[in-house]
This record gives sequence, structure tokens and C-alpha cells, in this order.
Amino acid sequence: MSQKINLRVWLKIPDAEAATVKNTLIRRLGFGKVLADVKKERLFSIEVDSGDPQEMARAFAKELVNENKESHIALIDELLFEEGYVPVKVALHIEDGEAISIRERLRSRLGFENVVDVKKATIWKLYFKTLKPEAEAAAREIAEKLLINPHKDTYEIMT
Amino acid sequence: MKIAVMQFPGTNCEFETLVAVKTVGMDGELFRWNRSAGELSGFDGFVIPGGFSYQDRLRAGVIASKEPVMNALKEEAIKGKPIIGICNGFQILVESGLLPGSVNGSGKVDMALAQNVMVSQGKIVRRGYYCDWVNLRHDAPSKRCSASFIIERGALLKVPIAHGEGNLVTTTPGLIEKLNEESQVVFRYCDKNGRIINEFPFNVNGSTESIAAICNEQGNVLGMMPHPERAFFAWQLPAFDPRKQRPDEPGPGRRVFQSMKRYIEVNA
Repeated sequence: MSQKINLRVWLKIPDAEAATVKNTLIRRLGFGKVLADVKKERLFSIEVDSGDPQEMARAFAKELVNENKESHIALIDELLFEEGYVPVKVALHIEDGEAISIRERLRSRLGFENVVDVKKATIWKLYFKTLKPEAEAAAREIAEKLLINPHKDTYEIMT
Repeated sequence: MKIAVMQFPGTNCEFETLVAVKTVGMDGELFRWNRSAGELSGFDGFVIPGGFSYQDRLRAGVIASKEPVMNALKEEAIKGKPIIGICNGFQILVESGLLPGSVNGSGKVDMALAQNVMVSQGKIVRRGYYCDWVNLRHDAPSKRCSASFIIERGALLKVPIAHGEGNLVTTTPGLIEKLNEESQVVFRYCDKNGRIINEFPFNVNGSTESIAAICNEQGNVLGMMPHPERAFFAWQLPAFDPRKQRPDEPGPGRRVFQSMKRYIEVNA
């Protein structure tokens, strides 16, 4: 039976890309009244068909996470987020070359033959000054106005 | 005849682009993104050069496309003034809705320049950033577009590319057919004889129908992934090209800038 290992990875050092997105949303797109902060994570969803998932998660993190600058959390067969922000998952709906490369690297070069599939996404953590229904509506608007180009990306509100 | 060469944080081809503008006989100056946007109305044409605006954060070109100066550029485009976007400039024009859409339209984004995917014989052979000399075939009639105004249909140009996101994709139904029917596909990647071979190494980034450059309906706004300013003088050509031995001659990319000049003269 296959299991899915979700690695959530974030920078310990300041994230310039998240800062630029926040700045653009507040200064250029008019979200200053509702948006408080923006943070970003990388998400690797790795499907394996055998092995101890906790052990596999540790091994994958060793390869995919640079501990000098990044932290991570591994979740097995679930993808949970903390309270306090709206998580927006952005992924390619066209072929994701980087995810394919990671899968091939794990399987062929690093010997993880039990890896079936790898998917990659970005999680945008949007912190709002408003309450939940309004916050989710604003998150959708932000995704469609800035975070995605619908001709190659797709998004999902993860609450 | 005064051209503004736009400069965003991370633009890196502005100086050679300015040399190209001036060498064909136009006046030009760098226009920083944070200058008063209203000053743009004093220019006759615009070039958005290549580079990595805002370090390509989020998506190539998207952050620059939200700058107020781009709204002012849209107004200048509606007036019919020529705008050329080169490489990152093309990405900015697409993300701002200036290409391929109608300039007086909603500004809706109708396509994307996605990550390069190089395909050969049905297999992905390479991905990501790539730089090389490519052959381009001019697929629009002359005078259709501001930046190829004096270039005849079928002409071949050897020009370099250098990008990681030039793979033109769209989910807009019928858009590619419309671009073809209305001669908005200006350049395609081809082999040295002008044949379109829709796979690597001829199609260098996986772009739909080997499209390298498009213009808007009116023809005044053009975006192209290759860099004509890097093939402006014959001495810039690669060592294997015999024209390199004649350094005083113009390079093939010069015709793009000469076209812009002629377009402005004709439409003045």
C-alpha cells in the first residue's frame, strides 16, 4: 500500500520572495487594509510503495532540505496547517519538470526505488486582519490576481 | 524621435539596448520604473529590455507588471506608440495583459511563458535555463508589426536566446489559431533553412508551434524571447559565423530596431 510523505519546508532566514509578494499586494494591489503578513513554504509530496514512512521522511529531508537555512516538518498521509493564516497551495497544472527531476534523482541516483511519484507546490501563508469568511475570499482574490498565472498554475485554499 | 528604455530592478540589458536604439538614429534614454509615469507620454516609443526584473520572484515578469508605470505604458500603447519587449520584457508584457490582448481590452492575461521543456523524439531531453544562437523565421508580412516593419515575410535572422521561461502556453480556446490567422505570430524558431521543426534543438524551449515572438492586434506592441540587441553588430556573432570577420557590418538583430524607427516615421 502506498503512503504519501508531505515535507513542508520553509526558510529560517528572511524570505525575500515572500517579502516582495507582500509588498506588491499591499503597495500595488490594494490589500493593505486586510492583509497583515505573507509567508511561504515549499511542499514536496512524495509517494512511496514500501518502507517505514518516518524513516523515509528523514532520509528525504536529508536530501531535499538545506538545514543551514531551512526548517521542515514531515507529515504522513495528511497535510495539516496551523490556525491563524489561510494556506494557499499553488502548483503547476502543466508538466512540472522540477518534480520529475526530483523523482528521477531520488530513484536513480540516490537509490530510493520505492519512490512512486513526487509532486511539488508552493504554500503561501496569508495572514489577514479580517475574520475567516472574508479572509478566504480575499485569499482567492490574491491567488487569482497575483499568485498564479491560470495558463500554467492552479491553486487551492487548504482550509 | 525619443525612445524610453525601461529599467526595472534586475533589468540587465538596458545599456546595450540603448546603444542599439541610438545607433539606428533614434534618441533614447533609460527610464527608471519609479520615475513619474506621466513622463512617458513625452516619448515616441518604448523598449522593455531583458534581465531578471525583481529577481524573477514569484514568476518572471509578474512583479514588474504590477508597477504603475505599466498602466501608463498601456495608455501609450492605445495611442499606437511602438513597444518592444525583449525576453524579460516579453514576460512583463504577457503578465500585464498587453500581449497578446487588445490594448483597449480588459488587461486579462491570456497566456503564460512557462518553464522551458525541451522535447526531442517524444522525450524530454532537457529543462530549464538555456542560452544559444537560434534561427528565427519572420512569419508576418512586412509592415504588420512595429518591430519587424521593414523585414520581409520568410526572412531568417540569427539571434541569441538566454532564458529559463520562454515556453509559450495558453488555455485560452482558439487563441493560437487567432494569432496565426491575424499574422500576430511574428517570429518562429526554425532550422538554418527556415523549416519549422517543432522539437529541440530547433524549438529551443518547447514553445507552442515554435513561437518566438508575437504582436498585439494593432501590431504596435511586440514581445520576443530572443535578444536582437545581442546580434546588433556583426562582431557580436558567434565565431562560426563568417559575418563575424566583417565587424563593420550590421548584425541581423539591427533590423528590429531599424523597423521600430521606420514604424515611427511612417506613423508620425
